[in-house]
Amino acid sequence: MTGRLGTLTYGVMFFAFLALTGCPPPATTKPEASPPAPQPSAAQKAPAAPAARKSSTPSSSLEAARKGQAPAPSPLKDIYFNYDKYDLKTEARETLKANADWLKTNASARVEIEGHADERGTNEYNLALGAKRAQAARDYLVTLGISKERLSTISYGEELPVCKEQNEGCWQKNRRGRFVIISARPAS
Amino acid sequence: MVRLYLFKALIAFFFALSLFVQSLSAQVRGTIVGPGAERYPIAVSLLRNLGPGEDGGGLSEGIADLIARDLTLSGWFRVLDRSAYIEHPQKSGITLGSFDFRDWSVIGAEGLVKGGYNLQGDELTVELRLFDVYQGKPIVGKKYTGKAKDFRRIAHKFADEIIFQFTGTPGVFNTSIAYVSNAGGRFKQVYVAHLDGSEKTQITKDPTINLFPSWNPDGRSILYSTYGYRERAPGLYLFNLFTGKDTKLVSGSGLNLGGRRSPDGKFIAMTLERQGNVDIYLLDQTGKVVRRLTEDPAIDVSPAWSPDGDRLAFVSSRSGSPQIYVMELANGKARRLTYAGGYNTSPTWSPTGDKIAYTGRVSGRFHIFTVRAQGGDPEQITFSSGDNEDPSWSPDGRFIAFTSNRSGRYQLYMMQAGGENQQRLTGSGGDDTNPSWSSRLE
Repeated sequence: MTGRLGTLTYGVMFFAFLALTGCPPPATTKPEASPPAPQPSAAQKAPAAPAARKSSTPSSSLEAARKGQAPAPSPLKDIYFNYDKYDLKTEARETLKANADWLKTNASARVEIEGHADERGTNEYNLALGAKRAQAARDYLVTLGISKERLSTISYGEELPVCKEQNEGCWQKNRRGRFVIISARPAS
Repeated sequence: MVRLYLFKALIAFFFALSLFVQSLSAQVRGTIVGPGAERYPIAVSLLRNLGPGEDGGGLSEGIADLIARDLTLSGWFRVLDRSAYIEHPQKSGITLGSFDFRDWSVIGAEGLVKGGYNLQGDELTVELRLFDVYQGKPIVGKKYTGKAKDFRRIAHKFADEIIFQFTGTPGVFNTSIAYVSNAGGRFKQVYVAHLDGSEKTQITKDPTINLFPSWNPDGRSILYSTYGYRERAPGLYLFNLFTGKDTKLVSGSGLNLGGRRSPDGKFIAMTLERQGNVDIYLLDQTGKVVRRLTEDPAIDVSPAWSPDGDRLAFVSSRSGSPQIYVMELANGKARRLTYAGGYNTSPTWSPTGDKIAYTGRVSGRFHIFTVRAQGGDPEQITFSSGDNEDPSWSPDGRFIAFTSNRSGRYQLYMMQAGGENQQRLTGSGGDDTNPSWSSRLE
């Protein structure tokens, strides 16, 4: 009830602002106009929600996107690539060493390595680029002693970005390799 | 199958439309094509209702509007604004001698399209005529019969005829575009729509990534790539527009990307990721690998057939950056075609064989280029703000469809092959990309 009234008030203010200035209000006016939300109850619910979601949220980027969710976090860390490159940077190698250690400790885990690209360039080339990135990560993990049979790769190119703004900070987040723990599955 | 009935209308159309041709004199060819040519000023009159009933369906305006739009899209005509027309379309005649050419010359028209229609129940007859106002002569007249809903196709057929009279080659306005769009939801889906935006049909429905629709040369089916619902890797599928049948051709772990049918329909060239490599393969029409075409450890992707089927243009990063190469299928030898710029992708071969269009990067933005297939200096043909990508040639090689985000989101556009007259085709509210232009529809 309070929330609705608040939204309504904000809406009225928004149009009044538009009428006066002819421009949308700057973002800084937003907190002032937004309703005093029932914060205590939201805070109480917050810790419970992720735990409930964790079991049902897929860790695969595509499976998660099908549910309209962000993929569940993986115990293995993402690696990042330079624009239009698929060679492993020093930081990526360090991350892969840590990921290899985890895989040695968790010897039954199988991993699907996702290769992703940023949005620049053509979709088809970016899918190939994502495939090469995933392959580079897999090959390095193999040299670190992880069995090839435990590692599969898939490319999503630029199709499943984590960040949708058009700037280098965002593009860098999208040029990634992800490591999804998958249960052992029979070959289809 | 729900899809089946969607195509019944299409099939019915193909067999229902019959033409009665009245050939009149024609001698105006070659006047409007070429660099620096003036756009030919033409008037497209509303059609006269020759039947007993009212124009309930807006056929008079509907047909005139479509012809006017096609002529404008071609870039060769300047269609005069209807508000300037003097004569009353329902009171003046449509044959020589039954109207006054001075009503048209005085407003600056050099060409004139007039016509009439007769709707009896669902049976539609349309007569369309093109006149040379300057000489006061008829150029061509045609009579079409079909069903009421065929009025769009009839209008496009006459627009193609007008273009034939002026250029010696029919227009391409009875064609379709296959493309992907995320306007309907979270994922890109494959659509097919007539070039005029009508008859839009969603081909894929599954909530997954769907990409790279590509027409079969016969215009009856399309190849596309989709991340399967059960398999994790993307596979190649064939969708038959006439039967609604969807057939899996290629799957398996690793990428199975972007199949393109050879001009004779017998082969498919596509990208497969096998044994840790991304290469181009030749497959038969059932999806069985015939031959591996590239063996380079770098990326090899995006094959495009030459119209004679003897060569493939493709993208390779073997030099360190993505560049366009051309391969002779007979001996597998590839030569590099592009040297300028650090990013050249998505080649597509002109149906006339002489040129290859592709996407290249200039100062951080992407633009369409063309280059002679034998090699030479590339020509940049888009310059607008934003990115311009995914070129696809019209079946006559005189136009290129592409996607551009110049207005914010990616929408489909078409332009003349030299880059002139860029016009937006879609405005879906989502991103429309990966256009593939069909052959001419019958």
